[in-house]
Amino acid sequence: MDHTRKDDDDDDDMNGEVDPALKALEERQDEVLRRLYEIKATVDGLAKTVSTPDADLDASTLSRGPAESVFRGTADLDSLLGKDLGALRDIVINASPACPPLCLLVLHALLCQRYQVLSSVHVHSSVSAVPPPLLSCLGPRHIDSHARQHFQLGFTLIWKDVSELQMKFNTQSMCPIEGEANVARFLFRLLGAEPQDPVAATQMDCWIDTAVFQLSEGGSKERAAVLRSLNAALGRSAWLLGQEFSLADIVCACYVLRAGQTTSAPVNVQRWLKSCQNLGHFDCVYPLLQ
Amino acid sequence: CCVVSSCFRAGEEEQQAQSKKALKKQQKEAEKAAKKAEKQAKLVSVRQETPVVFDVFSLRLCLSLSWIEADRPLVRVQDLTPEKAEQQIWVRARIHTSRAKGKQCFLVLRHQQFTVQALLAVGDRASKQMVKFAANLTKESIIDVEAVVKKVEQKIESCSQQDVELHVERIFVISQSEARLPLQLEDAVRPEGEGDEVRKVDLIIINLHRNLNTTTSQAIFRLQSGICQLFRDTLINKGFVEIQTPKIISAASEGGANVFTVSYFKTSAYLAQSPQLYKQMCICADFDKVFCVGPVFRAEDSNTHRHLTEFVGLDIEMAFNYHYHEVMDSITDTMVQIFKGLCDRFQTEIQTVNKQYPSEPFKFLEPTLRLEYKEAVAMLKAAGVEMGDEEDLSTPNEKLLGRLVKEKYDTDFYVLDKYPLAVRPFYTMPDPNNPKYSNSYDMFMRGEEILSGAQRIHDAQLLTERAMHHSIDLEKIKAYIDSFRYGAPPHAGGGIGLERVTMLYLGLHNVRQTSMFPRDPKRLTP
Repeated sequence: MDHTRKDDDDDDDMNGEVDPALKALEERQDEVLRRLYEIKATVDGLAKTVSTPDADLDASTLSRGPAESVFRGTADLDSLLGKDLGALRDIVINASPACPPLCLLVLHALLCQRYQVLSSVHVHSSVSAVPPPLLSCLGPRHIDSHARQHFQLGFTLIWKDVSELQMKFNTQSMCPIEGEANVARFLFRLLGAEPQDPVAATQMDCWIDTAVFQLSEGGSKERAAVLRSLNAALGRSAWLLGQEFSLADIVCACYVLRAGQTTSAPVNVQRWLKSCQNLGHFDCVYPLLQ
Repeated sequence: CCVVSSCFRAGEEEQQAQSKKALKKQQKEAEKAAKKAEKQAKLVSVRQETPVVFDVFSLRLCLSLSWIEADRPLVRVQDLTPEKAEQQIWVRARIHTSRAKGKQCFLVLRHQQFTVQALLAVGDRASKQMVKFAANLTKESIIDVEAVVKKVEQKIESCSQQDVELHVERIFVISQSEARLPLQLEDAVRPEGEGDEVRKVDLIIINLHRNLNTTTSQAIFRLQSGICQLFRDTLINKGFVEIQTPKIISAASEGGANVFTVSYFKTSAYLAQSPQLYKQMCICADFDKVFCVGPVFRAEDSNTHRHLTEFVGLDIEMAFNYHYHEVMDSITDTMVQIFKGLCDRFQTEIQTVNKQYPSEPFKFLEPTLRLEYKEAVAMLKAAGVEMGDEEDLSTPNEKLLGRLVKEKYDTDFYVLDKYPLAVRPFYTMPDPNNPKYSNSYDMFMRGEEILSGAQRIHDAQLLTERAMHHSIDLEKIKAYIDSFRYGAPPHAGGGIGLERVTMLYLGLHNVRQTSMFPRDPKRLTP
């Protein structure tokens, strides 16, 4: 005797096919939702373009990646770092996990846009445990990371028990560079975006020193004074050096963010911080601020 | 009548003589008895004066020690801390030193790495004879001591237990040591001076059973035991299976020259140079991940600081899914877990060894630093070394490279990947992207090689080609090639030497210090 299954009382017919009318309705719904998302992204992009000078977003793309590099200069790695002898030119940075170098993470993101960079994060045996966000702060591992010689630059971040941040590159011909700001200056040079005008260059250095000595090492009075002068400068132009985004903005923004209490910062400073965030290069910094 | 009288007189004289003799005899016996009585009396009086010393445990009577079942617990020297102050306890230890001073005797008692001061003073618990007895006990004798633990105000710097001392009430000798020691223990523990090296090492090895007793040796071999344990534990947790491979084999695995031959009934056999072949056979049998710990025999006539003819090999072999780096990462992670485990659980041992052999603590990165051979060549060239791109690294170059890597990355442990194909064994898989290089790697600790590994060729045909290229007699390795004919997963592996890893982790300079009973071309006993 044949054993037949009882028919279920639903939309499927005997062969399990969906009613074509229902299918068409589902497809229309998907299409409408997709167009809604596209419009939303376009509006978001436009909003950012309006409020952020110098950003060059392709508003119709759905991805949320960082903007195209804001720096369009060129740099000759061979002249800056020495001739490529077939070894990966590996920049080694030793930093304490108690004080993550936020500016260097931003610069790393900028370097990755310009060059083929092999990034890796290690934990030194002098440190017992490092919170997971610090282990993934340089982004996901590159697919080709097993072929080291295909990369133009190496960026090796080692979380280590050091009193001061330290960078080593060519131990035979270069002494180590100490201090987050100094390493930031070195890395900025690799982007070929240093201001050519000596006055602008001096102003940039001045802002960087202000950030290092007064924002981070100063007391609360000094910090308030710096925020006031930042506010004044940013009232006159979009970025600290005028119309061009520069290292001064990177360093100052990172130090302001690290000091905390950004919601109580002056108006221009808050607007400027939002612009920095909109550029996308600071995405790596925010997870570490908690 | 005269005859009778003379006879009688003779008899009388005889009698007189006899009685004189008897008298003398009696006198002698009386003297003897008197002396004996005196002795007994003395003995009894001595016994009465010192009932403690000549107690049940006399010096030679109790060799077996199993004729009394005592329940009393023995406290270890390392557990003598201020918490036990004023407690009366029993301790079993060796006499490290003993020194009498007037009415007192100072002993230092030792067990393994730990020493404690003990004091025996003439008083109501101890007699003068007892103090003298204690002072005359030979060094290294094993004794049981009943004592009260006392806190001390000033730390006793020369002992490991610095906050307490023992006030001894009873001493028993369990095993006496001969008076003259072949090697003074202090000499064995003192840090090495100039010109001491060769003689000291020889002396120490000859008297190995004495040397094994020093605090430093205890620490070294405890740490070595830890390395073995961490190796096993880490791999078992990663899903590896431990296998046992034969050491008597029919064909030399690595090459004909450096192999020991043994007579095997009517033919000869060889002692295994590595478990390579058998590890791979297990992979072909789908064990996936295997490791083995066992002796490795290399008949190399080299008398260096880092070669032995027999050593303990810790070998790993693993099948991988897509890339041999899966295996390499597994091995480096195992090493990192071993280093972390040693740092966490064996600090006492590391500090003990450092006292006699000071060295920098071992540093490493997690994940392990991986450099490529080309980079190493470039680094060496930048440092002034002249070498070809496909040349193997000489030992001095390896050491220099280790120093350069230490300078830049501050790590004592790293992997060098992608060696040139020409300098690797025939079963190494070539690099698919560059035929001049291979999928092989070496790992270094403090600039010295500890592991040589690679992806193995798992295809019988390619293996045959490579063997022919190296002019190897195919008949001799027929069984090896055959094991890959019936489906073999891609696999890679490597092996480390336990003694060398121990030596380099602790920063020592001779592998004989980390081998309990070392074997080299000139040494076959103990």
